[in-house]
Amino acid sequence: MQELKTLRYTEEGQVARVELLRDTINMRMVRELTAVCDHLEDESEATIVVFTGAGDDFCRGIDFRDFRPDQPVDIHGFNKWEKACVRIERLPKVTVAAMQGEVRGGGLQLALVCDVRIASPDAVFQLPEVKSGFLPGMATFRLAKYVGLGRAKRLIMQCPEFDAHKAVALGLIDEVAYDLDEGVQAAIDNFLPVHPVVVQLARRLLNESYATDFENAIGNFLAAQHRAVTQTAFLETLKRARQEDGGGD
Amino acid sequence: MPERPRILSVGTAHPPDRYTQDDILERFHTDSPAVKALYKASHIHARYLYLPEPGPDGRPHETMSELLHKHRQGALYMGERAIRRCLEPLGLGPRDVDYLVVTNSTAFMLPGLTAMFIRHFGFREDVHRTDVVGMGCNAGLNALNPVAGWAAANPGRNALMVCCEVNSALYIDDDSIGNAVVNSLFGDGCSAILVRADPGDAERLAPRILGFNSHIIPEAWAAMHYRWSEEHGRFGFILDRDVPYVLGTHAEFPVRRLLDAFGLKKRHIKHWIIHSGGKKVIDAIKYTVGITEHDVRHTVGCLRDYGNLGSGAFLFAYERLVREGTVRRGDYGVMMTMGPGTTIETALLRW
Repeated sequence: MQELKTLRYTEEGQVARVELLRDTINMRMVRELTAVCDHLEDESEATIVVFTGAGDDFCRGIDFRDFRPDQPVDIHGFNKWEKACVRIERLPKVTVAAMQGEVRGGGLQLALVCDVRIASPDAVFQLPEVKSGFLPGMATFRLAKYVGLGRAKRLIMQCPEFDAHKAVALGLIDEVAYDLDEGVQAAIDNFLPVHPVVVQLARRLLNESYATDFENAIGNFLAAQHRAVTQTAFLETLKRARQEDGGGD
Repeated sequence: MPERPRILSVGTAHPPDRYTQDDILERFHTDSPAVKALYKASHIHARYLYLPEPGPDGRPHETMSELLHKHRQGALYMGERAIRRCLEPLGLGPRDVDYLVVTNSTAFMLPGLTAMFIRHFGFREDVHRTDVVGMGCNAGLNALNPVAGWAAANPGRNALMVCCEVNSALYIDDDSIGNAVVNSLFGDGCSAILVRADPGDAERLAPRILGFNSHIIPEAWAAMHYRWSEEHGRFGFILDRDVPYVLGTHAEFPVRRLLDAFGLKKRHIKHWIIHSGGKKVIDAIKYTVGITEHDVRHTVGCLRDYGNLGSGAFLFAYERLVREGTVRRGDYGVMMTMGPGTTIETALLRW
């Protein structure tokens, strides 16, 4: 992997950790997130990836210093960010966002592409973009699926700040953890054992469920299910079931 | 390193008459709810076919010799158009073609379609020719492999590959669900590409053919096959219902080998040009190869608009991709066809 300056990447057993070393997102961080995805897909044996902030805050959104007010805004930078988010959303791993302090803008967008979101009680959340004159990325696409359309409109258009308990009540995050490390460990334990192919298929079908009609969804499901049941994990399950039965019919 | 062959042009053609699934059900007075449901669930909207007038009982009655005549006429009609549409944009005509390869699986002919096309369309008498017959839906890539090899060995010379299938000349009409599956799926179509290895073409936005990878599943040899019907005195096509799942189990292997050979990952592939085998087949490929609905948009679109065209189908999808105008220099693409054998064929392209 290339040298990382905005992220710290570590791997211990099945768990990879991606710490955000900056509290705002710049283009370098977007590139490095993509490089981390390359590594996770191509080389890493990890089955779980935890995204966390290195400092007091998880992430406060994009770094406006990347932009020059006297020059036209480069829309492709936004596209690169979205591509990095999709890469994370489709990783063949379980992804966990462990958040503390400020979780704003792009930070919250990043959390939305993870499979589970855990925050410490001090965390504050906000999608402030619209009041700053731009859009909160593809949170415009994902948020309503977590919280419902009405709440999504309020969160995106009124830009309120809210705390971790409120975030749980909204369905935006899964849990408040008084000890974030313990909370993350508990979440990891809850996911084990991780069968990467099956996890990826389940998540893909869930993500597609809002945009696919039933006729297409059932076809997709059968194709995915066939792939799942030809993996070793399911064959092992069948073998175990047989042994527990004493091998009889 | 010698110049890699490029696909310089593509042309397609289909019969003049277009039928929606409902048109076909009505035309042949199909009452069976199961068959009607099958047609509706095919994810095919319309097909271009050579259909006979219904007999007094509302069913088609074509003799074997009528089917063979139809095949010949259909191949001439579509072949002439597909070849012309492929060659004209390059300022070429049949006389400029040095190597002619035709794939076909919908009738047995001797001499084959290459000889018929040469006789009717004015190819040179010294044109090299090869008929690739009986290989089914995957044949386009089985043929492209030697076409690319010939082009690489004969720099600057023109190889024309034509994939021509008259599926409406091969069917059995009875009340079985098996035949209804086949009869609801296939359409008639012909596509042609011109392949040439010439440094002079370097400026064109035309993909180089970098390599191939094949995968055959011998234990599934009977999943798709022609079977002689004593009752009807002709061949019918057997399509096992497990075909999508057999293909799904194996599709990732040739793709992985193809990409590994070039040090590429799936994410480097911008364009997927996949045979429109049927909705379930496309679904299986999507979830096993791990590609998106967007990646298969032209495959799905061609299935919707033409049905399964057999060996030439993937070139209809290729033509749509080219016309879409989204391809950029340097992009990688994977072509993938699957069919009897059971087999999956792949090719790697780079624009």
